[in-house]
Amino acid sequence: MSRLNERFKKLYKIGLVITFAVFLLFLFYDIHNLDSDSKRYLSEHYISEGLQETGATNLVASVLYDYRAFDTLGEATMILTAATILAFLVPITKATMFGTTFKSIVNQTVKLIIPYLAVLGAYLLLFGHISPGGGFVGGVVLSIIPILLTITYSVEFSEYIFKPDQKKLVEDIGAIGFVLLGLLGVLTGSNFFASGQAYFRTGNAGEVFSAGLIPYINLMIGLKVGAGLAIIFNSLIKEK
Amino acid sequence: MVDIIFYLLLLFLIITAFFMVFTKDLSNSVITLPLFGAILVIIFVILQAPGVALAGAIMTAGLTTAFFVITINKTEYGRNE
Repeated sequence: MSRLNERFKKLYKIGLVITFAVFLLFLFYDIHNLDSDSKRYLSEHYISEGLQETGATNLVASVLYDYRAFDTLGEATMILTAATILAFLVPITKATMFGTTFKSIVNQTVKLIIPYLAVLGAYLLLFGHISPGGGFVGGVVLSIIPILLTITYSVEFSEYIFKPDQKKLVEDIGAIGFVLLGLLGVLTGSNFFASGQAYFRTGNAGEVFSAGLIPYINLMIGLKVGAGLAIIFNSLIKEK
Repeated sequence: MVDIIFYLLLLFLIITAFFMVFTKDLSNSVITLPLFGAILVIIFVILQAPGVALAGAIMTAGLTTAFFVITINKTEYGRNE
């Protein structure tokens, strides 16, 4: 009886997965066969005239930080809220570190890796409107540095190098600067977060200082995401 | 040639996903997650989406694995003491 019950449970799990897969297959088949004549004019406009209107070579960045920058503000607010709640819940008890002690090979390798990580994160931040990358990805690469320090050495050493008050200050600078850059579009008589419509694009397309406000918005979002993820990781690893 | 590699990668994706769901040990499931992420990154590069591939490489293969490992370490799973 128990064996039959186990077999029935396994069949039930496999049947659930197969049913879900068939449902997704029908869903994607219907999405793929939509009438693409009259409903794609907005994406056609983005692809054909996005470079002229915003000045950014990376069309994904032009959509994320110029056409739809208000949605990006909402996404960044989510990360800010999560980091704030987790920093508020810093535990009183002392955390127990891992059971393993690393050899000296790991310590020396982490020392060698960290400068390359910093350069890669800065490149992804500053060239987000020319090549693939952008604020979110660059911020995550920059946040890997305090995470590696925490895992390899200890929480105390990581918080001696990057102090928690400094990380909270950097995150607040990112959040407030993002909103202030949005208000810069209002001052010129256009919409909130307008850089292409307010004629801010200076320089030629493909250079670093071009595409209006998009590089500065990338920098602010990168600072915010990096500091927020570092705060979240340190708060989680201090839990007992 | 690229089509053969693409369909093989899709097959490996399904195999790793089923292994992650149906294995008995939590540690095996967590260590299979970056494999899944790496295969997905190669598929995104073949489909010409480099931005999504970068984000997937960093988040799926790096950060979430670290979070899962530390969470399982905190719960004292598999310690026979």
